Amino acid sequence: MRGLFTNLRLRWHALWKRRQLETDLEDELAFHLAMRDEKNREAGAAERAQRWFGNPELVKEDLRDQWTFRAIENFWRDLRYAARMLRRNPGFAAAAILSLALGIGANTTIFSLTMEFLFSQPSCRNPETLAEMRIGGHSDIDMAKYRFLRDAHIFEGLAGSNEEHKAEANWRFGSDTYRLQTMRVTENFFQVVGVPVAMGRAIEPRDGDVVVLSDRFWKARLAADPKVLGKSLIIDGRPFTVVGVLPHNHRTVLGFGFSPDLYIPASRESDIVALIARLPDGMSRQAAYARLVAACKQLDKVYPPDWGQNASWANGTEVVPVAGVERLRSLNILPFAAFFGMLMAVVGLVLLIACVNVSSLLLARASSRRQELAIRLAIGAGRGRIVRQLLAESLLLALVGTGAGLLLNVWLSGLMNRVQLPLPLPMQLLIQADWRLLLYSMAVAVGSALVAGLMPAIKATREGVSAALKLTERQVGQWPLRNALVVGQLAVSVVLLTTGFLFVRNMTRSMTMNPGFDAEHTAWAYMRLVPEKYTTAEQKQNLVRNALGELRALPGVEAASIACIVPLNDNWHSMNDIRTDISDQPIRVRFHTSCASPDYFRTMEIPILQGREFLPSDDKGAPDVVIINENMAHELFGNRNPLGHTFRYTSPTLSAPMTVVGVAKNSKYFTLGEENPLALYNPFNADAWMTNLHFLIRASRPCDVVKEIAQTLGRLDASASIEVKQMRDAMGLAFLPSRVGAALLGSMGLLGLALASIGLYGVLAYSVARRTREIGLRVALGADRAAVLRMVARKSFGLLGIGLAIGLGISMFVTKPLAMFLVPELSTSDPATFLTVVAVLGAVAFAATLGPALRALRVDPMVALRYE
Amino acid sequence: MLVLKALARGPMHGYDVAEHILAWSGDVLKVEEGALYPALHRLELRGLLASEWGVSANNRRAKYYRLTAAGRKQLAAESSDWARLSGAIARVMEA
Repeated sequence: MRGLFTNLRLRWHALWKRRQLETDLEDELAFHLAMRDEKNREAGAAERAQRWFGNPELVKEDLRDQWTFRAIENFWRDLRYAARMLRRNPGFAAAAILSLALGIGANTTIFSLTMEFLFSQPSCRNPETLAEMRIGGHSDIDMAKYRFLRDAHIFEGLAGSNEEHKAEANWRFGSDTYRLQTMRVTENFFQVVGVPVAMGRAIEPRDGDVVVLSDRFWKARLAADPKVLGKSLIIDGRPFTVVGVLPHNHRTVLGFGFSPDLYIPASRESDIVALIARLPDGMSRQAAYARLVAACKQLDKVYPPDWGQNASWANGTEVVPVAGVERLRSLNILPFAAFFGMLMAVVGLVLLIACVNVSSLLLARASSRRQELAIRLAIGAGRGRIVRQLLAESLLLALVGTGAGLLLNVWLSGLMNRVQLPLPLPMQLLIQADWRLLLYSMAVAVGSALVAGLMPAIKATREGVSAALKLTERQVGQWPLRNALVVGQLAVSVVLLTTGFLFVRNMTRSMTMNPGFDAEHTAWAYMRLVPEKYTTAEQKQNLVRNALGELRALPGVEAASIACIVPLNDNWHSMNDIRTDISDQPIRVRFHTSCASPDYFRTMEIPILQGREFLPSDDKGAPDVVIINENMAHELFGNRNPLGHTFRYTSPTLSAPMTVVGVAKNSKYFTLGEENPLALYNPFNADAWMTNLHFLIRASRPCDVVKEIAQTLGRLDASASIEVKQMRDAMGLAFLPSRVGAALLGSMGLLGLALASIGLYGVLAYSVARRTREIGLRVALGADRAAVLRMVARKSFGLLGIGLAIGLGISMFVTKPLAMFLVPELSTSDPATFLTVVAVLGAVAFAATLGPALRALRVDPMVALRYE
Repeated sequence: MLVLKALARGPMHGYDVAEHILAWSGDVLKVEEGALYPALHRLELRGLLASEWGVSANNRRAKYYRLTAAGRKQLAAESSDWARLSGAIARVMEA
């Protein structure tokens, strides 16, 4: 180790005293030879010192290599030479760099996006000793159970947070009330997790009603008021004192870009929290798990679990790190990760096309540099040395291309950070260039230099000196390498285009898809009540009754109803073993649940196929009735008429029998992609705990009544936050996957097509142009122009055919798994997709062949001949 | 090892090292003298030798090598290794 250090130090010094080193070596050897000569003379020997010594030049060469960084210095020289070459061919350099910049820009941007979305670190102290915990298979537990576990002191600290529906809050600002997304955290959350605060302080134990603002909320809603600390916000009717503001790069523990407006203490007894623990230094997750399980068994004694016999809080216990692959797996969002994997694959293909472009450019240039290379080979340059020099050139291209690509990356990331998606939770991405991106782009640069440069470099030096020295390049076989590149590029772009186009078609298909209800003539009013304001179910029932009555009285409104779940926007999944009155054998079914007031089906225009809608008489106290969809009816009762039949849930306890009074036509419930979902509706009953009311209103022109609806509801309760949207606009969430997919993959497909077209055009045009002389000759000898054209076209289209065939074959195969991202009505082997792709690439190839071929035909045969 | 051994006697230039080795071995180890220099430089770059330019007995500019502390340690280690190895070989040959 020390030897290596000495070595580098000595060589480093020698690097700056190159001339000194040279004279030293010279002198040392000369001294030796002189001494030897002298001695030999004295001894009377006739031998020359050289005979004893060997070749001093070789020795000197050896010594020089020892003292210098020859490989690195050569490399540096190669780079400088390459830079000179590129400066002299600005057109070539620009084309190659542009290709690489686009490819690398797209590639690194998707890399950044993936990293940010799936692998970002939350803003916290020492994330490696933080762990998220779940007990009893529950993601959240109530405050009493949380306190029990916290006071067991099994970890260094145990905190909790909640960001779900219950964590919404109404903010009264002037005369308006807004619904905000809050993060309700236990009083020790900031200390346990170690969340940094930009201004003021964090929430601390024994704090009363205080609030910490997100940077986004502070800037967007409070105009970045510098004196905000100490002011109070009216939240759910109570004043909360602002104590702190989070930094702009705050990332929540939840991740995925989730960005709440406020952090407030989880002070209500009804709050529920997800657990996060600070493990003591050195405690493994296995040890933490064991402690947690032991504590859960204690918890069983104090708060017996209520979901069946043999249930224990210790079952379904998980201890998960706050970032990384393991967390993704435990959150069960691997399909999500698969989508990003696919994106990475797609941009990998885009980059591959860009590299092939550069490759063909280098090939074309290599053939015009044949003589230069041949002369260098002839005067004794090693082949490896020349390959290295050519590679230095492609490396330089790749480095400059990566630089430009990173600029593109920064710009695109900025765009993505500003994008606002129609999600139920506010989201903000914080994509920043970091060391991972830098490392990745270095790898990409070197990789693309090799991919683009290695083949042309080897090819350029393969032919021997004699062949290369010949002045002209004559008809040289078939150029299989270049053909292979064209075919490969075609194949890859077919795959890209197919994927992109498939997603674009998926988007158009899902936008025009009938969700099974009428989204054009309906509006959705979301009214969030302050929970503390309504203590009894009666108060809430009155509110709902009054609201529905006033809404129905509005001019232009045809029907109004209320439901627990707005289709395609929220989801309530159940799984239960159901026992029907026709069989003793329970059937396990997974179904969507919702509840609906009378008129719901008329409002949404979901046909009732059998039986009836809910009636006001189905109210509380009346026998339990349900409406099920066709799929559910079939699942439970087969082909029997389900009307009048009853069924019961078997868990957690056997429920009272429910009578089927209607069968609704199948529709979409949560996603457009769902296949044959089961669904069940209960009559709507206002419970005391219900704080989110979703009114659905039918009007022939919903845009005309939006304002009146908001005013009507606002008059009923000024402390409630009210948002009214046309149903059509509220479908954003449902269209989101297809839109994002289409936007990302469609643009990648287009980028790939653009790159491939340029490359294809370049290569085909070049190979036709190279045949100008031959074509001239043929024409001079009397060949029919049309026949010549056909001959040229045959070659191009031959390549096109092979490339398309390979590409289509691969596409058929690789697009199969994409089905999970597409609406079920669209098949991955959709012929329209493939036909379009073939047509587009065919047109490009046609243009690329025809232009140069016509130009070649127009050349005066005499000119071509004279050249020979 | 031979080079280190020679230099253990004190600083000397390359020619002297060659002469010493030649003399010790009774002209048996007569290799190309040129090969000595790469070896010397390699040892120097490994930090086992240090060098400085001086003036030789006949008033010429010459590069003098001497052992460094690391070089001395290396020599000791190598000679004990060698003693063990040659002893073992000798025993094998006598057996």
